[in-house]
Formats: sequence, structure tokens, C-alpha cells
Amino acid sequence: MSDLLADDSEWADVVPIRQYENVNPIAPIFYSEEYKDATDYFRGVVKTGEMSPRVLKLTERVIRMNPAHYTAWQHRYKTVMALQVSLEDELELMDEIATMFLKTYQVWHHRRLILTALNSVDAAARELVFLKTVLENDSKNYHTWSYRQWILVHFNDEERLWAGERPYVEELLEEDVRNNSAWHHRFFVVFSSGVRAGDEDREQTLRRELSFAKEKIALAPNNLSAWNYLRGALEHTHTPFTTVTAFVEPYTASEPPATDVVDLDNPLPSAGAQLPCVAALEFLADIYEEEGGEKTAKAVEIWKLLANEKDTMRKKYWEHRIRDALQKA
Amino acid sequence: MGDPRTLARGGHASHSSRCLIGLPSSQVEVDPSRIAVIFYCLGTMDILSTLQLQSGEQDRESWKEWFWEQQISSPYGTGFRPSTYMTPEDHHGEPSEYNTGHLVMTYTALLCLSILRDDFSNLDRRGILHLLRSCQQPDGSFTALPTGGESDLRMTYCAFVISSLLDDWSGIDLDHALAYIDKCYSYEGGYGQSPFGEALGGTTYCAVASLGLAPDTPTSSRATRLAGVNRARTIRWLVQNQTESGGFSGRTNKLADACYCFWCGAALAILGEGDLVNERTLTEFLANCQFKFGGIAKAPGERPDPYHTYLSLAILAILPADHGNDETWKLPRLNPLWNATEDTAQWARAHIPAKAS
Ligand SMILES: [Zn+2]
Repeated sequence: MSDLLADDSEWADVVPIRQYENVNPIAPIFYSEEYKDATDYFRGVVKTGEMSPRVLKLTERVIRMNPAHYTAWQHRYKTVMALQVSLEDELELMDEIATMFLKTYQVWHHRRLILTALNSVDAAARELVFLKTVLENDSKNYHTWSYRQWILVHFNDEERLWAGERPYVEELLEEDVRNNSAWHHRFFVVFSSGVRAGDEDREQTLRRELSFAKEKIALAPNNLSAWNYLRGALEHTHTPFTTVTAFVEPYTASEPPATDVVDLDNPLPSAGAQLPCVAALEFLADIYEEEGGEKTAKAVEIWKLLANEKDTMRKKYWEHRIRDALQKA
Repeated sequence: MGDPRTLARGGHASHSSRCLIGLPSSQVEVDPSRIAVIFYCLGTMDILSTLQLQSGEQDRESWKEWFWEQQISSPYGTGFRPSTYMTPEDHHGEPSEYNTGHLVMTYTALLCLSILRDDFSNLDRRGILHLLRSCQQPDGSFTALPTGGESDLRMTYCAFVISSLLDDWSGIDLDHALAYIDKCYSYEGGYGQSPFGEALGGTTYCAVASLGLAPDTPTSSRATRLAGVNRARTIRWLVQNQTESGGFSGRTNKLADACYCFWCGAALAILGEGDLVNERTLTEFLANCQFKFGGIAKAPGERPDPYHTYLSLAILAILPADHGNDETWKLPRLNPLWNATEDTAQWARAHIPAKAS
């Protein structure tokens, strides 16, 4: 009841080649019988240069046991191209393997190569849908996000691929407002990748993004991802931090302000918020430092508060900020 | 968890030497990057100064021999491959298309051989420079293999260290490579793995170390490369990654992990700001990551592995641990740019460059 290729008549004509091993190897791996068998036949077909449907089966077998086996991936890609098998089918077959081995580089690189060869916007759109299902289970998987961003940049002019990205990010942030990968993706779509359709009016785009970030901060004030986004949007557009002073100040107080006035531009911290918020204190100090002059003293005061009371973990960093500012002043 | 007040040096050293004897079949995925795993094991023994104790002269000689077997030449140049995992028993019939050097393995092999105090008389220096040229892409990045594969900041770092170890930068188009690093800079202050990527601890180390290693060029000087508002933003982001647990996370709002204590802490050290790390809480976190039977895990309660063991010790060696008078935490100084103890780095400096031999 063996499942070895050595016992399979389909492979009888291939000479398996065992792996060379030095007499005193370092950190040798004690391979399983199945793995030894499959890789012996793999070395066999690589030697003869065979590219055939059974080589596709064989490379898949090796990859399932060792998804990091980059030579198996290289030979698989070469065989796929030589046999002119359907690239759509290849992508679909890879769906399961990608889901099983989310953290293996080679899995994602192979998809890039196949999609590049396919050069089809429809296939790219299908990939974006597939990636959504992957991110449902692991919403911060780095490889998955990198691949998504690569697809979008690769098909930069296909607005239909880009159109769903901002709403998608909003969906993800509804679920988890601290998902930094989603925040990063939004920055990529709105700012760093270029100007998307509908976003040509940059002032209006910035206003929209500032409102978005502020709204999310109001919801969960101690969320560094949202504060970093706010900073990033301002810095990217060369907008002074002082333009958001009115928004930031209430988050630096010890209690939420007692007021019923609703200012849509400057949403207030929610009732149960933990205040003062360290990120807001930091932001306000940066505003004062930006203003300079007499305001520097106010910045120093905040940094001292952070160092000695509110964020003692980073005491040395806040003291470094004080030294730095006083040197510049 | 062992005694969190002491560094279980003996346990960590034996964890590494056990791995060098052999790995179970469940570890088959490390075969295509085996030299890197060996580097973490030898590096651990180097930091703990136990290599002489835990291996015989004959072992070390045969290990060197094993390494030199992995140095291979192809039409693309010379480099080290991860292991013999594709090598036929009779050494014949391996097409050069697949049998090439690998940048990450070449970098880690050079360090392993330095740890073993090899004289590098077998090193094909010109061939390695040729491999670097073959791996550089039109966008300035590097692939691990000359025949393709993914390209990102990890390989840029390896290409830079290799050039630095050889003390010869003629294998790479430096301005082009530096421009690629810039493109990976993210609004948060860290560097993504590739352009447009989310800021990540490991690749931020790769970027910062590369910028620190590269010599001045007519259009880019070391002093201006790591300066100004971008530098300040990088420092801020790195410092913010130290979490309440004392350990560092690799990205904003993620949990702490021992390896990111190295990647973020060493990046700060290279920027001349290692003092900004809260060493006491960092050491406590790493102490709690120690596994009771030796080795260090990514987080308290997890299983240890050579990668997290080595990187935890490496950052403790870079930032002198703040652990009172306990002698177990005393480690030799480590060069944060090459990621090698100062003694090993000195050996490499004396034996790897062409003029040295
Ligand atoms: Zn880790």
C-alpha cells in the first residue's frame, strides 16, 4: 500500500537520482520516505530536461511537501509555459496551495509570474476577489497585501481594478479599526500610487481623508494607525500640522469636553474614551515645535509629561526630543 | 519558561548545537535556505563563545569543507547555494540554470566561514562580484537568484553586505540600488519590503543598514542619506514599535515578537540612537521568551527556533542588557551592520577582501 513513485508504473521509465550528501553535513534534514522518493524523481526529470503533464503533477507533489522548494517552482513555471497549459487553470489550482502556505514567498511569486504572462485584466480582477477571501482569514498577511499592491501597480491604468479598493478598506476598518495593513493600503491607493479617477481635485481629496481619519480617531482615540495616517496625509501634501490643532486639543485633555455642539470638522472623543491620549499629546507637541519661538517651551512641557507620566516606556525618546528641540531653538 | 532573571546560556548553546546535528523531516522547508539556519546556530555559539567547547577541531574542518562545496560557479557568476538539496549523488546532470549561487546564502556563508575562522583561500571574489551584477534588476533591486525569483530589500541588504565584506562595490550599480531603497520608504517612517509596501521592522533594518554600509557616491553621501525629517520619522516609528510587553512589534498595532527586538533595535543602533530603547523592559521580554529546555521563542510560551534564538542574543549583544549585576547577560559586542560579533567581523575584514589574501 505504498504511495511512492518508485512503485508507480507511470514513472518506470524515469531514472530516479538520489541526493548527494557530504560525509559530515551540517544540519542535515532527516527526510521522509515520500519526500525522498518525490525529489529523487524530480532530480531525474531535471537532468533529462523533461517538461510534461506528469512533471506538473510531480512538481505539485514536491511543492505540497515543501512549498519553499524554489527549484520545483522554477521548473514548474518553465513546464507550464512550454506546454502552453491554461494559465487561468494554473492560477485556480494555486488557490488552494496559496491558502495552505500563506507565508511562503514562492507561492506568491509564482502567481505574479503567471499573471504577468496572462496579462489579462479579467484575471487580475479575479485575483483581487481571491485575495479578499484570503484576507478574511488573515487580514494582515504581508505577502497577500504585497501581491494585491503589486497587481494594482502592474495594471495601473485599469480604473476598474482600483475602483473598489477604497470601499474595501472601509469595510476592513469597520471590522477592525486597528488594522494597520488596511490603513496602509488606503494611503497607497489615495496618495502614494498616484491620482485615481475621481480624486483629481487634490484639495477635496485631502479634506475627505482628513475627515475619515478624524472620524476613526474619535471612535478609538488610542489607535496609532489612524494617527499615523493623519500625519502621513498632512506631510504628504505639505500641509502644516497647525491646521488640525482644533481637532487635536480635546484629545489632550483629561476629560471629554462637556458640550453638545457638534463640529463635523472636529469630531470629539467618544464618551468612554481613555484620555488624555498619548498620540494626541505627541501631536500637539509637534504642532508647538512646528510653530517654534515661544511655543517650544509648551512642546517641552508636553514631552516632560510624556516622559515622566504618560508614556514612561519611551522616557528616553521624549528626553531626546527635548534635547533636539532646544538645540534647534 | 526558565528562570527569567538569568540568561540560560547553556540551554541556548545546546539548542543550536542540536540543530547542527540534524533537523527533523518537519523542518524540510528550511532546506532551500539551510545555510541561513546554520548561520543562526553558529552565530548563537559565537555570541555565547561556546563554539570551541561544543565542537571538535575535526568537526570544524569538515564543516568548512561542506561550506566550500556549496560555492558554485555558473555562467552568471559564483555564489553559495543553500545546501545540496538538488545535487545528484554523482554530481552530474545538474543544469546550471538551476544550480546557481543565492545572495542570502552567499552572505550568510561568508559570515559562517568567518565564525569558523577560515582563511578564505578558496573564495572566488571576482565570481561573486559577477553574481551580484547578474542579480541586479532594471529597477535597482536584487533577486536572490540570477535566474529570477522575488526581489526586495532583503536581497538589497545581502548585496550590500557582500560588497562591504569584499570591500569592493564594483559589482553593483550603487546609485540605482539606493534609489530603490528610497522607493520603499513608507509614510509611517519605516520601509516596506518592496515599493508601496507597509512599513515593516525586518526590511527597515535592511534599508537602514544598507544606507549605513554604502560608501559615498558623487550623488549620495552617507551623512545626507541618514539625515533630516525622514530620519526623524524613522526613529519615531522604530521607537513606537516597542510595546507595553517590552518587546518590539514589526508593524504598527501588531504584537511583540523577539525577532523584531533585533530588527528595530539594531536599526536604532545603526542610526546612533540605540539608547532610545527601553533596555530593561526589552530584556525582561526576551528573558520570558526563553524556553525551559533551551532556545528562545518569538513570544513567551511559544516554541523556540534558531532564528529567534540568534536574533534575541544579537540584540542583547548590541544593546548591553540592563539586568543589574547578573553576569549571565554579559555578551561580546556585535557589529550591527554586518550582524556579526566584533571578533568575527575583524576576522572577516582581515581575510575576505582581495587585498587581504
Ligand atoms: Zn519573529
